[in-house]
Amino acid sequence: MAGLASLDHKATAAKVAIAATFFFLLSGLLALTMRAELAQPGLQLVSTHTYDELFTMHGSGMIYLFLTPAALGLGLYLVPLQIGASQIAGPRLALYGFWVYLCGGLAMYSGFLTNNGAGDAAWTGTIPLSNSSGTPGVGMDLWVIGVALATLGSLLIAITILLTILRLRAPGMTMLRMPVFSWTMLATTFMVVASFPVLIVAMGLLLAERHLGGVFTGATGSIAYQHLFWFYGHPVVYVMFFPFVGAVGESIATFSRKRFFGYRALVLSLLLFTSLSMAVWGHHMFITGAVKNQYYSLTSTLLALPAGIEYLDLIGTMVGGSLVFRAPMLFALGFVLQFLIGGLTGIVVASPPLDYHVNGSYFIVAHFHYTLFAGSLFGLMAGLHFWFPKMTGAMLRERLAKASFWVLVAGANLTFFPMFFLGYDGMPRRVADYEPRLGDLNLLSSIGAGVIAIGVVMVLVNIVVSLRRREPAGNDPWGEGQTLEWWTTSPPPATNFTSLPEITSYAPLLDLRQAAAAESASDLSRHIWRQRSEARGVER
Amino acid sequence: MLAAFRGYSPDVASTRSDFSSVWSLYLWLGVGIAVFIFAFVGFALVRYRARPGRSPSQRDEHNTLEIGVALLLVAIIALLVFVTFRTEAKEDDPTAADAVKIHVVAFQWGWRFSYPGQGVSVVGNSNHPPNFAVPVGRPVDFSLTSSDVIHAMWIPEQRFKKDAIPGKTNRFVMEFDAGGHEAGQRILRTAAHPDGLRRLGPLRREL
Repeated sequence: MAGLASLDHKATAAKVAIAATFFFLLSGLLALTMRAELAQPGLQLVSTHTYDELFTMHGSGMIYLFLTPAALGLGLYLVPLQIGASQIAGPRLALYGFWVYLCGGLAMYSGFLTNNGAGDAAWTGTIPLSNSSGTPGVGMDLWVIGVALATLGSLLIAITILLTILRLRAPGMTMLRMPVFSWTMLATTFMVVASFPVLIVAMGLLLAERHLGGVFTGATGSIAYQHLFWFYGHPVVYVMFFPFVGAVGESIATFSRKRFFGYRALVLSLLLFTSLSMAVWGHHMFITGAVKNQYYSLTSTLLALPAGIEYLDLIGTMVGGSLVFRAPMLFALGFVLQFLIGGLTGIVVASPPLDYHVNGSYFIVAHFHYTLFAGSLFGLMAGLHFWFPKMTGAMLRERLAKASFWVLVAGANLTFFPMFFLGYDGMPRRVADYEPRLGDLNLLSSIGAGVIAIGVVMVLVNIVVSLRRREPAGNDPWGEGQTLEWWTTSPPPATNFTSLPEITSYAPLLDLRQAAAAESASDLSRHIWRQRSEARGVER
Repeated sequence: MLAAFRGYSPDVASTRSDFSSVWSLYLWLGVGIAVFIFAFVGFALVRYRARPGRSPSQRDEHNTLEIGVALLLVAIIALLVFVTFRTEAKEDDPTAADAVKIHVVAFQWGWRFSYPGQGVSVVGNSNHPPNFAVPVGRPVDFSLTSSDVIHAMWIPEQRFKKDAIPGKTNRFVMEFDAGGHEAGQRILRTAAHPDGLRRLGPLRREL
């Protein structure tokens, strides 16, 4: 953990986690301000211009500066531990990636200090709104630079994780013995490497357009920008999703006291998901009249196949298990059930005739918050509560953790469920004001946002309290760890391991326990048999 | 037949009823799947909770089940895609005989509706909503564009919207039905990509 210059992947991951948490809280405050404005019809708190900045920076902050780096940071910490590596491949590159990402985030947010305010052309920066006449000012330039740097930083970190998986696996750790979480990170880093460069180039072109002009001109230019943006914009959704599926899968397997179910099917479905992720981007453009809607509708609906298999595997892991409801398990179950609503409504918007109505409405806002907040953030919480003892050596307070889970469940559903009805009833997204008839549902949603804030504070308090008055965690605080990170100390030493067990499957520690149990069972039966035969001998 | 009686041209998209038929399939299928999964997870949580004296199953694969579920998913996907494509083809067809043409231009922050050949145009913004008329029972052929940034024209009651993109004209045809309960007034809204509620209305129709 020591020092800003430490090259240890765990130290770099901790830096990413702290920065991502900072940007999460900042962007969450913007969301609270928006919900406060929207609690009543009419304009009370902010101007429409300020509101534009709020939703732009909230979305940009959460996607570019929080969920994406947090997902990659989790992988940066855990992948070497899970595959038995002593370091990350390219530790300097990973550390450099962190600094580039942090500079990007600070650049983006520093827009608030400029005359015209921060970027306010939505997290998509759509042309021509984002060009020099649509959105003049340095704040928007800082947004463009910030997006490019943050994405470059994430890309660099992802490259180191990908190389670690390809080059640094421990002896015996074959590809099909990698833990579920590491597999989700492999798929994630594939998508990052294939799609993030496109956004970085698009941001470079956008900056050129703003200062030199002539890059994205006319209708062709604005459509071209959307193609570039969404070629990144859809894979990134799964970058913010897969690692948390992995965290949830590991939590469910551990607290079901069972091996992950359907491992090979999951690997196949991740690969199918990854390839489809780069073939669906046009579904964000159904109403532009500029793409072949049928093609993107077909590929997007096909996503139900790998998603369905993942659900089968997550739920199948519980069947026949011996379920223990610790905090990470609760968050994992919250992920499974709440993400389902986001996933099913995702299939709805893959149908153009339905998207023609709900596109650009609060229905979409509800849909993606069920995937990213009620889904991914709950998955992140599962991972946080699951691995916090490993990362810090201290247990989180279980009762507080469970209480924060229920508060977050209430808050998430109160905030985001009414939005489905608001959107269906005609409320467009990205507006500071609405018709009075939509007031009640908006008020409910705003109350929900306050409940979420309470839940987040509870999680933070838990972290602070648990670090201050430490309840030490052993190597395997759950007593049922299945993967290599639970073999080493908590927190792990600088080189991660002093020894490694034999790696026999994707759950090597479970293999060891089962072998020991089988041995002691056979010892026991041999012992009983001997006693009995001795007893019989005495009788004779 | 009923539709013909009420004055529909059967080859023209009545976007509201097209939406409803696709929506109800997706909605009820989705609700069914959600209820099943919630119920099944609920069952599993009770049935397989840890109890003393029972050790967990060691089964970690069931290929027949995986393949069966995959086939079921493919069948559901095929059904959804079929229904979607059928409706989509109808809604994306911009040709209609005897259609009333309306040119729509979006700008920050207002709309201009003009009726070519009739010398009529209506302009309005959030403060002074444009009143524009559409016929009932006769297809309307919209040509939509924008003079500054990308806007979208959304008629929630028609369950339809389309982008207004500068330099590009998007055409779509739809028919407004009298419906009975509404006496000819509806609100036309725009989901502008950037900023602010752009309320446009009331939308008058000639009954």
